[in-house]
Amino acid sequence: MTFDIIGKRFWFFLISGVVILIGVISLVTFGLPSGIEFSSGSMLTVKFEEPVEYADFQQEISNLGYTDAIIQRTGTGDFLIRTHELSDADKTQIENALTTRFGELQEAQFNSVSPQIAAETAHNAAIAVAVAAVGILLYVTWAFRRMPKPLHYGACAIVALVHDALIAMGVFSILGAILQWEINLMFITGLLAVIGYSVNNTVVIFDRIRENLTKGISTDFEAVVNSSLVETLSRSLNTSLTTLIVVLALFLFVGASIQNFAVVLIIGIVAGTFSSVFIAPSLLLVWDKGEWGRFIPGHKPLKVKT
Amino acid sequence: MTRKNVIAFILILIIFGFAMWAVLPLKSAEAEEDQVEKLGKTGLRFGLDLTGGVHLVYQADFPDDASAGDKGDAMDRALITIENRINKYGVTEPIIQQLGEDRILVQLPGFTDIDAAKSLVEQTGFLEFREVELNEAGQPVYLGDYLAGEPNQFFDRGETDDRIFVKDYLFNDDEEYGVFVAFLTKTEAGIEFVDVEGNPVNKEALQEYAGSLSWIPTRGDNGTKLTGELLDDAYPTLDQSSIASKPVVSIEWNHEGSTIFDEIAGRLHNPDCDSVPYSPTYAIGIFLDDTLLSAPQVCSTAFGGSGQISGTFTVVEAEGLANLLKSGALPMPLKKPPLYQEKVSATLGANFIEMSWMAGLIGVILVMLFVIAYYRLSGFLASLALVFYGTLVLAIFKLWPVTLSLAGLGGFVLSIGMAVDANVLIFERMKEELRMGRTLGAAIEAGFNRAWSAIRDSNVTTIIVCIILYWLGSSIVASAPVMGFALTLLIGVVVSMFTAIVVTRTLLRLFVGSALAKKTKLFSVDWGKKK
Repeated sequence: MTFDIIGKRFWFFLISGVVILIGVISLVTFGLPSGIEFSSGSMLTVKFEEPVEYADFQQEISNLGYTDAIIQRTGTGDFLIRTHELSDADKTQIENALTTRFGELQEAQFNSVSPQIAAETAHNAAIAVAVAAVGILLYVTWAFRRMPKPLHYGACAIVALVHDALIAMGVFSILGAILQWEINLMFITGLLAVIGYSVNNTVVIFDRIRENLTKGISTDFEAVVNSSLVETLSRSLNTSLTTLIVVLALFLFVGASIQNFAVVLIIGIVAGTFSSVFIAPSLLLVWDKGEWGRFIPGHKPLKVKT
Repeated sequence: MTRKNVIAFILILIIFGFAMWAVLPLKSAEAEEDQVEKLGKTGLRFGLDLTGGVHLVYQADFPDDASAGDKGDAMDRALITIENRINKYGVTEPIIQQLGEDRILVQLPGFTDIDAAKSLVEQTGFLEFREVELNEAGQPVYLGDYLAGEPNQFFDRGETDDRIFVKDYLFNDDEEYGVFVAFLTKTEAGIEFVDVEGNPVNKEALQEYAGSLSWIPTRGDNGTKLTGELLDDAYPTLDQSSIASKPVVSIEWNHEGSTIFDEIAGRLHNPDCDSVPYSPTYAIGIFLDDTLLSAPQVCSTAFGGSGQISGTFTVVEAEGLANLLKSGALPMPLKKPPLYQEKVSATLGANFIEMSWMAGLIGVILVMLFVIAYYRLSGFLASLALVFYGTLVLAIFKLWPVTLSLAGLGGFVLSIGMAVDANVLIFERMKEELRMGRTLGAAIEAGFNRAWSAIRDSNVTTIIVCIILYWLGSSIVASAPVMGFALTLLIGVVVSMFTAIVVTRTLLRLFVGSALAKKTKLFSVDWGKKK
């Protein structure tokens, strides 16, 4: 029994390409709304004893002059207000005005980030993602140093990783546009976890290619890649499944406050499994064969098996 | 071989027993009261986002010309001062740390009044005593005098320090009285009105306060200013002298303070308080952070080192002020508002712990069912290894101890899913070897040996990510979630490699000799048949 996954590589490239393209269009159109951790501002969660209508609440907040505020209703009498950085006096004023209009309230949560800290956090998060990518490239290249083209392995692992990160960001951009989701530190944490996870999967498959090449099971690189892929397929799927099970449990039970984290992991695990199985090994082959011409429209295709 | 294996098995049992000892009992006696699940006798250590509490980060406000050494010393003293203030409030395990060169982190678990926490930390707590400036004729100087003639120098040229003007009795209600209006400071060109931050103030805006007295520092005969640094002790008491007893703060001067205070009293005192009316010239102004608390007149010349600060205090405020004075002044002010502030209510946190617990439990059970269904006996052994894994990781969390944030719990739950990975790699490998017609024993050994390079390389990438995340966490202010996640995932990855390589292998080897081993079906060879 043989699945010919590698032979259908251009179909898989197409699927990934379309998904990424949609994500990128959303990223360009809507951007990636960032939470106060990255863009500074204050977030205040208040709990009223009596139920309060969203429209009334929103009107009161904009009466106070916070027309830029984003308001989310998180329960019958629970609201989250997110606006620019509030001073102590501003906060007291808001809470007093709300108490006067809607009755007693409790300040359940308050979080405020100054522009200076937000800039530092965003800067360091970007560095962390970049350093992680370079670190992985170096390690994978080193781990496969005895192979003919070690850098290819590292580079393909990075492409798979960028693929997963792009899909995750694209989905969050769409979620941001539809549900007003914002990315926060938990998103970056989840994204880095996904990066580690995706490479983990890719490396297992590459490891098998390395072993099969050393064993010399075939002189045809394409055959080697394909059988390595098929041999590790049930492992790839089973591992993703067990991880997905626990992340889904996390998403369903813990919910709201680590929603960002759980969702980026779910997307990342699915995209990561796809890229590890269908993209990274195929890319290795495409590079090895020098098939890049296929991607240029009008270029005469090289011999391609389908 | 077999003997070695038995020894390994016994060692595993010992480690497991030790881990169990660390995490049992699952619920401590107090758990029901405070609603938070605990593990073992002392419980796991939970982060602020789970216990509720306040997290503040301040930027110290140093003058531009402060040297690095001065800053370092001032930061050290500031940390001690803040710690003293907070300790008096009985917050359990507060964290007060220096971040970078000139930032201060304050974490108060379980303390959810963020406004109280902020005023506790932010108050500079600088206590000083002042007297009223007199002109050449011996009459009190008012703000109006400086505004009217627009003089180019101080009336009392002997005193060159800043004058302070505060709202006087015309604004005499509890809220306004004594509030800072302006400084009058000496410049190269002459004298100038400035605000707290040193910015020039428009004279027009000050006209309203023309009746405010000009307060100058009061000094002992040797020129030492009378400030809070000369205090020995401060405590709240009730002043019984008036009709309704009111809260005041009693103070004790140290030796130097006692001498200076008596010298000043000798100079300022009203010779006959009962018949000579109150006049600003007899008053001593008590200022805290540039706000006038009260300005009693001095009626005695010998105080014997003790005194009283009265004002419009409640009992709680008097207690707070006494604590503030005792813990001393901050060596430098802190910028407001804080760079970062976060408050989490305790009820939210307790819910998260319950729910994460639930998610972890359900996740583990589902994962076990899956591996048992797919890998049969090996899956069952892997499940045992997973129980071992979970117990060991929790024991490490507890004994380290790791502070678990919500993200940390997430990392732990995630690592459960990933922990099975090494087992899956090995089992898949074993199945292949069995298909090739090897004996079970040989298949197990080959499975482990061949899977090792994949397990190693794939886990190293996760470890790289964990280390980078940990760095990210340590470099930013809102660090708890990121660092917690990185640490729990790292522990999880390392322990999972250990359990897969050592525990599962030992368990499998124990089965090789048994009758069960003959039934290779138990290892589910035919699930992925037809090679």
